[in-house]
Amino acid sequence: MTPEDLRFLLVGAGLFILGAIGFLTRRNLILMVLSAELMMHGVSMTLVTFGRIHQTQEGQIFTIFTLTVAACEAGLALALVLSLYRKSHSLDIQLWSELREPDMPAPVQDAPARIDDGSGSYGDTPKLTPAGIVPKDPPRTKSSAGASSART
Amino acid sequence: MMDWLQAHPMTVVGLVLWAVGVLWLMPGKQAGSTRPKIPGLLLTAAGLFAFCLSCGKPQTQLADEVMFWVFAVSALLCGVLMITARNPVYAALWFALATLATCGLFLLQSAPFLAAATIIVYAGAVIVTFLFVIMLAQQSGAAGYDQKSGQSVMATISAFILLGAVAMTLQQEKLEIGVPVVVAKAKETNAAVAPSPPNMSAMMQASGSGSPAGLPTAPADAPEEKPAVPGNLLSSADPDHAVGDLKGLGRSLFSDYLFAVELAGTLLLVASIGAIALAPRREQGAL
Amino acid sequence: MSEEIQQLVLWLIPVAPLASAVITALLGPKLLRYKSHLPCWSALAVSFVCSLILLLKILPSMGSAAVDPSEVGTFAGPQVLVSGYEWLNVGDLHANIELRADSITAIMLTMVTGVSLLVSIFGSGYMSHDPGYPRFFAAVSMFVFSMCMLVLSGSFALLFVFWEAVGLCSYLLIGFWYQKPAAAAAAKKAFVVNRIGDFGLIMGIFLIWTNFGSLDFVTVLSDSARIAAVEVKNPGVIQLICFCLFLGAMGKSAQFPLQVWLPDAMEGPTPVSALIHAATMVTAGVYLVARCTPLFVMAPNAQLAVSAIGAATAAIAALTALTQMDLKRVLAYSTVSQLGFMFMALGCGAASAELVTPAVTAGMFHLFTHAFFKALLFLAAGSVMHAMGDVIDMRRFSGLKHALPITHWTFLVGAAALAGVPLLAGFWSKDDILAVLSEASHSKEHGLFFGVIWAVATGTAFLTAFYTFRAYFMTFCGPEKFPAEAGHHPHEATPIMAWPLRILAVCAALIGLAVGPTHLFANYLQKTMGLTPVPPDSQHLHWDVMALSSVVAIAGIGLAWMFYVASPKIPGAIASAMKPLYLISQGKFFLDEILKALVVLPLVGIAKLATVFDRGVIDCIVDSIGAIPKALSSIPRQFHTGVVSSYAGFMWAGVVAAVVLVLTMF
Repeated sequence: MTPEDLRFLLVGAGLFILGAIGFLTRRNLILMVLSAELMMHGVSMTLVTFGRIHQTQEGQIFTIFTLTVAACEAGLALALVLSLYRKSHSLDIQLWSELREPDMPAPVQDAPARIDDGSGSYGDTPKLTPAGIVPKDPPRTKSSAGASSART
Repeated sequence: MMDWLQAHPMTVVGLVLWAVGVLWLMPGKQAGSTRPKIPGLLLTAAGLFAFCLSCGKPQTQLADEVMFWVFAVSALLCGVLMITARNPVYAALWFALATLATCGLFLLQSAPFLAAATIIVYAGAVIVTFLFVIMLAQQSGAAGYDQKSGQSVMATISAFILLGAVAMTLQQEKLEIGVPVVVAKAKETNAAVAPSPPNMSAMMQASGSGSPAGLPTAPADAPEEKPAVPGNLLSSADPDHAVGDLKGLGRSLFSDYLFAVELAGTLLLVASIGAIALAPRREQGAL
Repeated sequence: MSEEIQQLVLWLIPVAPLASAVITALLGPKLLRYKSHLPCWSALAVSFVCSLILLLKILPSMGSAAVDPSEVGTFAGPQVLVSGYEWLNVGDLHANIELRADSITAIMLTMVTGVSLLVSIFGSGYMSHDPGYPRFFAAVSMFVFSMCMLVLSGSFALLFVFWEAVGLCSYLLIGFWYQKPAAAAAAKKAFVVNRIGDFGLIMGIFLIWTNFGSLDFVTVLSDSARIAAVEVKNPGVIQLICFCLFLGAMGKSAQFPLQVWLPDAMEGPTPVSALIHAATMVTAGVYLVARCTPLFVMAPNAQLAVSAIGAATAAIAALTALTQMDLKRVLAYSTVSQLGFMFMALGCGAASAELVTPAVTAGMFHLFTHAFFKALLFLAAGSVMHAMGDVIDMRRFSGLKHALPITHWTFLVGAAALAGVPLLAGFWSKDDILAVLSEASHSKEHGLFFGVIWAVATGTAFLTAFYTFRAYFMTFCGPEKFPAEAGHHPHEATPIMAWPLRILAVCAALIGLAVGPTHLFANYLQKTMGLTPVPPDSQHLHWDVMALSSVVAIAGIGLAWMFYVASPKIPGAIASAMKPLYLISQGKFFLDEILKALVVLPLVGIAKLATVFDRGVIDCIVDSIGAIPKALSSIPRQFHTGVVSSYAGFMWAGVVAAVVLVLTMF
């Protein structure tokens, strides 16, 4: 390993940690995806450097595959972001804290960004019937579907 | 560890300055904190400079040296600006710049195809898509949640501790990168090859009308009796094609890694189908 | 008759009803619907014909070869053995599905299949328009299959299986109208009370297994020397076995104090009451005790208990029947009472060894005749019920003589047979029992005991005549009165219901005369394994007993006539004069209440204690164990904020820690 390789490795590591900082601190869904891409750049840089250290093609070939996967990931992530945005009309990640412990308070919101349609949950998110209890009324009636579409 | 701290004070100073700069630039816990950006930028730049300086000074040509400095500093600086940007559109643009700088570094590492592909994929496609989405979702400009950040101190400190650990490891050179098993075999095969790893300037010189000073760019720390780890577990160094040679890359991709290439293609197809399935439909209403 | 045909005949007896049950259950609800009786009829007819062939052709043809009177003690009698397949083969236990038929089996089979054929014909008329029509016939077929297998089984293991199977069918049929809470409760009660008896039975079977090393009837029962050897080795064990087996018989045959389920079982359809709860299933206990005679012979105390329980049951049931107003309940109590008679007879072997065979013969003979006239009485009562719009309270109708002539005549024949009017079926069999009892009362050892039993039996015979004709007079004589449910004009039984009544009436009238005084029944039955044939010259008719029982029967009928026809005011006067006694009888001796206080309430108390323990101690332990992780998790739970960034932060912290640790270690 030459000092030159060392410099590239350090730059890769720097890109990686910058992406990680962005992923952890930012609350915008798109910025988080972008930060993940920045981490990916750091990884690519490291892989290419390793390939050069070993004098083989694998580093670059692996980076090409990483690129492919990153493209897929970006497409899917944006689709997910869009569908999340459709439900909450916001890109704020803190709106989505349904997995918290039941007795934990919800994260403090800046503004009532979410549109509450009064159904107690996010619009037409599929609801699970609690096990063992006969549902009192059909979970999704035509009228409720109509109401949700009328809302949007 | 203490040895390293004493041996490389510059690295430590650079890391600390850099981290403070990032923290300065980062949006605070509360919205509306309008810190001036200039001190943060200065701190970051100083930290970056010290960090890159501490990486040692290899004996490369001046052109390489300049290009490395330009690309590395701009990549890292753009990264910092991206993750601290208040406006997501600016963040996307800083990311595009960081991508371009990274591609420059790829070129320096004799990976021209990769550099081109990354520019095409990221700057050409991904960034544009991101910008579309941002403009679709945030037509009213910067939102409240973009003015704030969570756990920034913890994230920054832990991240820079990681970077420091990596730097320490690399600078102590205790990590033997390379596999001794293939050394003996590689020795014979490598004998015929020019020992110099081709880099950007070497390639330019080789393609330019046969300059006599083309070859002596061999790094000094790669003596003949101890060839620098010329291969890995997967394959030995290719004697016919230098690293970054497009021909060798293509041959390797479509012979050794044909199956993986097909898999990656399938993955792209699946991902595009998935994205179409996930994306909101027209009859479900506009965004 | 060749071996194959014998086997075929023997197999057909149980398999035909089984096939009918399966076909009706599978095809009935969708395809056969109100034609569901057809498989049942044809299967039962096949079974009946095969039983007759077995009774009249196969066994007599074997008799001459197999009987060897010189070998006293190892008498197996003529029998047909057909092995099916090996069911269980565990260690020394070889439980095979095999059919074994001897004389007592053939008699039981003929009676069971004959009565069930007639009852199923009656039932298709009685149950018409019932939505559960296919279910009824599937269950009846299943019952006949189980009952045939019960009497055909060649080992205690198989006997127990089908003992339970008839109990299940009984449960299903008592609860046939499961929408009615009373029917569901009665079915449950019958099932639970039977479990007590079944516990005794299986304990007895276990004891037989440990002591004899086999469950096969032939191995266990045919060798009296072996039984004696077991008794010598383990003194008292035979007696214990007999008590256990008798407990099983008590449950199934509704003997005191387990008889409480049978009157309640009348909630089922009347054909079921006639078939299962009068003619066939409840006699399984009698069959079991008769079958195990060789064991009971070795345990005189058990036999005395059998007689005593029988006498107590007969008397209590007869006294209860005096005041019941529900026609079917009167008949149910009379069934219990008559079963008591059978057990009284079965216990007589304790008096002297010569009496064993006549005693068993008398009990089985009464079982045989009782099946016909009691089935007849129940079917006639069902016909009354059918005509009266399901009203069965005798106070709400009277004088049905002219409205229901066929029912009237057939009921009269059945009642007379039950009362013991001379020359009818019940007369001969009851007479046999009384004769055996009187002979037992002359024995040296237990003379006084059997004297008392005899007196009880005679008194019960009087009561039987009285309450039977009380029911008859209240129902068919007096001013004509119909309940509102019957509509304006009650309809007589349809031909499909009338013909089984007529046939059974003929049987009830004549069958006793045909096989009783001619000793046909006795001679046939005595070829059963374990019974010693009585020399023909010692068989004679007991004219003195006959005269006495005739007088008793006529007196009972006369008293009933006086009370309920001539001067109907007397019963009320007597009832008010002896109010406590009347109330005891009316309240069925408060047996249900006593059992509840003695058995159910303590159990409920224990259960409540257990609940307190469960809630207070066990739940407490379990809850506190569950509280430990909850308490431990109270701090880490704080980190589960649901915010994605914080989860990512924890992940990142872990990665940093791991990487830094690994890198600084080098």
